[in-house]
Amino acid sequence: MAQHEVEINISKTGEVKVHIKGAKGKACLAYSEWLSKLIGKVKEQQYTSEYYEPETKARINLQQELKNEGQ
Amino acid sequence: MSTVLILAPVIISNWPVIVAAAAGAASALGFAAKQSVDETVKQGQAEIQESVEIELADSQVISEGMRTGQEIVLKRGTVELRVTRDERGRCAVCAKGVGHTKAELRQIAQEFTEKMTQCFVYNRVMSELKNKDFKVVNEEVTDDQSIRIHVRRWVD
Repeated sequence: MAQHEVEINISKTGEVKVHIKGAKGKACLAYSEWLSKLIGKVKEQQYTSEYYEPETKARINLQQELKNEGQ
Repeated sequence: MSTVLILAPVIISNWPVIVAAAAGAASALGFAAKQSVDETVKQGQAEIQESVEIELADSQVISEGMRTGQEIVLKRGTVELRVTRDERGRCAVCAKGVGHTKAELRQIAQEFTEKMTQCFVYNRVMSELKNKDFKVVNEEVTDDQSIRIHVRRWVD
């Protein structure tokens, strides 16, 4: 089991800052795509070291799950 | 840590969802739904009533199921706000009131659209996070009026 956390800050003007934690590689990318479709345009994106860590099977399953739910 | 995203919200939704966001903003900013004809309009006939309109640039109100001319009318003191769908399908907020300059009304309308956008994003995000089985760890409104949400879920 992997723990995924998302911190979302919606500013007074409506701008949104999202911090995705615990998801790596394509799983992280899947969350990013899902949230950008949900909220709006990506103005800026910063990857941290965890993004580049090897994925596990759990992350691949998550990506498929998000894809299926989005259909 | 994995990634940090900065997103500019785009409001594309049907009228009931826009109404919910406008109601949230109205509540937060002390506006109330207007009851039929009121004294503001009557007074406005005798005094000069300024009016300004601003639109939410990245917005699209889906007209399906929406009656022609449908709008939300809100009031706070002598200020009246009308939230409508303009001819281009965008969400527009018109502010008018006696005893206020155009600049003041523009500021009030701007403050309302920002709060409405914040409410829209909050409602949308919370609904989708719950659909994806995220549990809310913490939720707070900070000193700068930002809404901070912290959610978590376990994945196989």
